[in-house]
This record gives sequence, C-alpha cells and structure tokens, in this order.
Amino acid sequence: MNPIISLKNVYKNYGAKAVLKGINLSIYPGQVIGYIGPNGAGKSTTVKILCGLISDYEGEVIIDGINLKDDPIAVKSRIGYVPELAELYDVLTPVEFLGFMAELYNMPTALADDRITKMLTAFGLADNMHQRMDTFSKGMRQKVLISSGLLHNPDILILDEPLSGLDANSVIIVKDLISKLAKEGKTIFYCSHMMDVVEKVSDRIVLINDGAVIADGSFEELKQQQGNQSLEQIFAHMTAKESLSDAADQLMNSFGN
Amino acid sequence: MGVNMPQLRAILTSKLIMDDRRPNSVHQTRQKKQDKPIRFATLGTMLMSTLLGIFFLMSFAVGKDSITQFTIFFSFYIFLLASTLITDFTSVLIDVRDTMIILPKPVNDKTFVLSRLLHILIHVSKIVIPMSFPGMVGVTMLHGIAGLLPFIFLVISATLFTIFLINAVYILILRITTPQKFKSIISYFQIAFAILFFGGYQLVPRLLSKVALQNYSVSNASWKWFTPSFWFAASWEFMKTFVFTPTLFTCFLLSVFLPIISMWVVIRYFAPSFNRKLSMISGGEGEPAAEKSGSKKIVSTSSAYLLTMAKLFTVKGAERMSFLHTWKMTGRSRDFKMKVYPTFGYLVIYMVLMVMNNRKLTFADVQSQTAGGKAVFIGILYFSGFILMRALGQLIFSERYKASWIYYITPVGLPGHYISGAMKSIMTRFYLPIILIVSITGLAIAGPTIIPNLVLGMCNQLLIICCVTYITIRQLPFSTTQSLNANTGSLIRGLFSLLIPAVLAVLHYMLYNYLPVIILLTVLSVIACWLVLNGIKSKTWEMILQLNYE
Repeated sequence: MNPIISLKNVYKNYGAKAVLKGINLSIYPGQVIGYIGPNGAGKSTTVKILCGLISDYEGEVIIDGINLKDDPIAVKSRIGYVPELAELYDVLTPVEFLGFMAELYNMPTALADDRITKMLTAFGLADNMHQRMDTFSKGMRQKVLISSGLLHNPDILILDEPLSGLDANSVIIVKDLISKLAKEGKTIFYCSHMMDVVEKVSDRIVLINDGAVIADGSFEELKQQQGNQSLEQIFAHMTAKESLSDAADQLMNSFGN
Repeated sequence: MGVNMPQLRAILTSKLIMDDRRPNSVHQTRQKKQDKPIRFATLGTMLMSTLLGIFFLMSFAVGKDSITQFTIFFSFYIFLLASTLITDFTSVLIDVRDTMIILPKPVNDKTFVLSRLLHILIHVSKIVIPMSFPGMVGVTMLHGIAGLLPFIFLVISATLFTIFLINAVYILILRITTPQKFKSIISYFQIAFAILFFGGYQLVPRLLSKVALQNYSVSNASWKWFTPSFWFAASWEFMKTFVFTPTLFTCFLLSVFLPIISMWVVIRYFAPSFNRKLSMISGGEGEPAAEKSGSKKIVSTSSAYLLTMAKLFTVKGAERMSFLHTWKMTGRSRDFKMKVYPTFGYLVIYMVLMVMNNRKLTFADVQSQTAGGKAVFIGILYFSGFILMRALGQLIFSERYKASWIYYITPVGLPGHYISGAMKSIMTRFYLPIILIVSITGLAIAGPTIIPNLVLGMCNQLLIICCVTYITIRQLPFSTTQSLNANTGSLIRGLFSLLIPAVLAVLHYMLYNYLPVIILLTVLSVIACWLVLNGIKSKTWEMILQLNYE
C-alpha cells in the first residue's frame, strides 16, 4: 500500500534557527497518528507545511501521490484542517462562515447547506446557527472550526488540539467521531499535548523533539521499548532534559529561604 | 486566467458582509451601546465621506483663481483620504486571519490576490465616490461639463497617488522596524495626523486674514512644485483651457504619468514583500517568540524616578502597587496612548490659540501682570489639567479588562486604594511635567510674585481632579471594556473639565490681587483635597461596580 502522506528529509529554518532537522514519515490510509512533542519541538511547523501555509521548506512532501510543491491546490482540497488558535471571522454567523468555506472547497451549494445544517445540529448549535460568532464561547467556536474541517469530507484530517475548550460530552463525541472516520479509511493527523487522549485515540504515535522524530510506533510498541509506562511517563522520559521531579523539588524549595 | 470565479465571489461576499458589520470610526467615537449588533456600517462610512466632501467645497470660496482653489481642494482630498485609509489598510484590508482561514483552502494565488485587489478597490470606492461627489456637483455648477470630466479623471489619479503614498509609508516603516512594532508606529502616525488635522483647521484660517485668503494665488508661491495637489490643479487648468504653458503642461504630464508609475512601483516592488511582512505582524510565520525574548527584555529605564515618585506619593501596599501598575499600563498600552496622547497636541494648540487671540498681548504684559497677562496665566493654569481629564476618563478601560481578576482574588480591604494609587499615577505622569513647565516659565517671566496664585491654581486643579475621580470612577482601573459600558460619568466629567475650571478660573482672576484671600483659599483648597482624597481611599467594595464575567 502506498503511503497517503510521505515526508522525506524535511528541513525548515527560521533564519539561523533550525526548526525541523530532517523529518521522515510515511503515513498510511486509515491511520490515526498522534503527533506529540514538547513546546517548540516543531509540531506546528510540520502541520503548517502539510497545510500549505509554509512553502519554503527543504525536502519532499508527497500527499496522495501529489508533490506538495507541484500542486498545492490539489493537495489542499484533500485536507481538512482544524487550527489550534480559534481563528474565525467572528462577525459572521456559523452558517455564513461555513458556507464561505464550502465555496472555497468548490462544493455545490445545496449539498453544503444540507451538510452545514446537519453538522451544526449534531453539535447542538441548531439554535445558534444564525447568530454572530463574536458572542460564542470557546467551545462553540471550536465546534464550528471542527465542522469547517470536516465539511468537504476530506481524506486527510489535520487536527491541532481539537478538544480545547470543549466540554466533556463534546469531547466524547469528537473522540468517537475520530475512530469512526478512521474506520472509513480517513487518515487523521492528531496534534496534542494531552497525552491521555493521544494514548486512547491514536493507533500510531510519533514523538518529535528538537526537530527530529525520536519515537514512532503504536502505544504497545512504545511500551515494549520503554518499559510498561503510561504515555505521559514515556514522553517525559524521552524529552525532558532534567528530571521533572527535581524541578518540582526546586519549586518546593523556593518557599524556604 | 486561472481565477476561480465562485471562490472569488465567495471571498468578496464574505469580506463585504464583514465590512458592513465592523464598527467604523463613527461608531467608536460615539460609543454607542453595543446591544444592537452593528449593521450597515458601510452606509455610515459613506455618509461621513459625503459630509467631508461637502466640507471640501469650502476651498472654492477662497483664492482668486481656479488653480488655487483646486490646489486647496486636492490638498484636503489627498490628506483626508490618506488619513482614512492608513487605518483601514491594517484593520480592514489586510486581515491577518486570512492566512489561517483562506490559505489552507484550495485557493490559488491568483484568485487570492485578485480578491484582495478587488476588495481594496471596492473599499476605496466606497470612500472616494461619496467624498468626491459634492466636489463633482460643485465643479459642474462652476465650470460646466467641460470642467467635470478632467476633474473626475484627476480624482482617480489623485486617489491612486494617495494609495501609493500610504504604501510608501508602510514600506518605509516596515523597513526601519520590526513587524511587532509596526502597529504602534502606525498608531503614532494616526495620533500625529489627528493633531495636525485639528491644528490645521484651527490655526490656518486664523493665521490668514479673510482678505488675504480671497486674493491669494498659489501660482506665485515658490513651494508650489513640492505639493502634489498643485500638479493636479494645474493639470485641471490645462485640460479645461488647453493653454500651453510650460508649467501647466508639465503638471498635466505629472498628473497622468505619476499615478501610473507609482502603481507600477507598488505592484512591482512593494506588493511581494509587503504581504509577507504584513502576515508576520500577526506572528503567524515569525520566529518562535521565545528565541527573541533574550534580546527584548524590558528594562525599566525610569525605574529609579518611578520608585521615588511612588514612595513620595503613595503608601505601601495596594496604593503603591496600583500606582506602579497604572504607570506601566499607561506607558505600554497602545489603546490608552491612542486615546490620550492626541490631547497633548490639542492642548498645545489651545495654548497657542489663547495667546494668539489676544494679539495685543505682549511679553511685557505677562511680566508686569496686567489684566491680559493675568488672564493668560490663569487660563493656562486652569486648562493644563485637560489631558489629565482625558486620561482619567480612559483609566478604567482596557482591552484586557478580564485580567482585572487580580484585584478580586488578592486580600485588599479597601479597593479605594487601587483608585487613589491609579489617580496619583496618572497625575504624576500627565500633570506634573506640564505644571512644572508652566511654573518654571511663569517664574522665569514674572518672578516670585506669582507664587501664591500659582499654588492656589495648582491646588484647585488637584481638588477638581480628586472630585472627578471620587464621583465618576466607580470601577477599578483597567477593569472594563469600552464596548460593554455605556460611558457613565462622561457628562459629569465633561462638566467638571470645562465648566468648573472655567468658573474657578474667573473667580480666581477676580481675586488675583488680594493676597490674604488667596492664601486663605489655598489653605481651604488643600484641606478639601485631603478630605476628598481620603474619601477616595476609603471607598469600599460595596461602592465599586463589579463586572460580571459571563
């Protein structure tokens, strides 16, 4: 089977600072990839490259057989993206905003209208469909963002902290949704800091640190390599420079004099 | 062509809907209640532009020839268009959210660039057409259709030239500074524009007497070649009359080719790096923030001065904390500066006006304390607190008003200390330097005889400020947002800042020479100040309007 996403020796520098130092990844259809790493490791840079937001990278990115540099438009139409920061045109209503998104994906209007109504209703936003989003809570905005990523039924979904701001019930819905989408053969690229969710949701975990992949495999495989620990412990073990409990001790010591 | 029409339409439709719902300058200054969502903002903008356009017609009433009239018209036009658009370019036209929302979608570059260009075109037309319409009517009435056609052409030409000017300013700023500082610098530009605008309208007509204006002709001025508006005016004259003089013809060529060349420069040299740099303003593609913090550590340069002031004027605890906090907030918040700093400029202009209105007034008058001299002295003394009133009015507002939870979780018994500390802070920042300058110049000119009156004036100013604070400040500093709150207290503040100082100033003027009375009043004023200040400090939690976090 051909990988649906393939990164080969991807490098990216911001000025003199190297953010990605040769990322190699092959992702296959139907996989849920948990993409984790400490702050500043290069997670969001990778995501931005995949979404076509950063184009001046070195190396090769092939998505669904298309080189990202050759035809970014074709690639973008296969990807659904839910950004981390809730960037929305918030003076629009959800229906207006999603309708706008649908047009950008060249969806037929009737299909889009139908889907928008169904999605928003499923998320419990039926009463808010025609209200401006500037009054919305963080969770409501997040639901609109998730809808905008799913709207055109993409083969690849890139989710950057999709659960932030959602209440417990909505979290269950989204987690359930992810596994159902994967069963249908969609590929999901899931970025998060919440290790317990990543542990449960993803069937393959990619851990990056300082611009390079340092671990790659299913949770079971990682456990075999690193000893029977939780993902949180594995993460800490592999990425923290100093012992974390030392840091906690130092914090405690700062009370004394 | 490679442009996707449905996408183009979708982007433009959404952009225009958003424009229509965005609060414009009219809404902001009036501070309407935000209960009603903003709609038809476009109509408001167009109405404003028409009003401005009617205002430009004034230029046809001055000057003895049409070149002069058109020079003045185009000066107004270019200046006002530039000051309107300079804000819009960051807030409306280049929306940094586009990077996150539109760019990950399958939209090709041509569609995106075209949508942006069309959006700019539509936006500019919405301002330009109403703004130039009264002018068009005026020109047709004065010069007929033969005058109108060149006029329309030149309006377009001048508009393109203005867009070029704004682009040049933007690029210049982006060259010399980082994108992070960009927004502050644009705000300083706006402040400067506001002051210049206000000053120009107040001062220029007074500087020139009416007769001089009627007979004024720009053609004789040597600086005419440096003013683009003259080029447009002379070009109009050429197209209307077809008289070949070197001056007129050169101007005609300039007005035709300048916009073309400037547009070419904008597209060729400015546009490519421009978009990229602007998108960096949002920090979207900038360097990781943490990397930079090393070089950008904030060093409180005036900390020694600040700490001395804080120790001098406040008691330890909540009041001093509030003093220092307010000092830093007022110095660093762009929003606050935007609202308060123009007042500085107005103040200077008012003072110049006050002196100029008394043409007979001489230096000796102030020195020997004649009636005119006394009036100016008292006037300056009592109106120097103007900026303080403005700062006080802004004190409770902040964009980050939700951060005011810090006041509520800390164990402070009397929140009045927060208010008194903040009040003292802005007094030190905005009043102390002014009153020092006034006192020193006053002493230097008139000598120590003015001291009693100076002291009384200062004490009365302080008393007024304290009273205004006591009555109008019912929220904690920086704890509320402008849009949530209808401006309570603004009427009282307006009354206090104009009427009460005026009444006190007149009374003070009448008693100016009765030294014992002045001294007695000073003592009374000090006592009153002290009492009111204590009143502010002992405000309890029950007297503070608390914000409901929803």
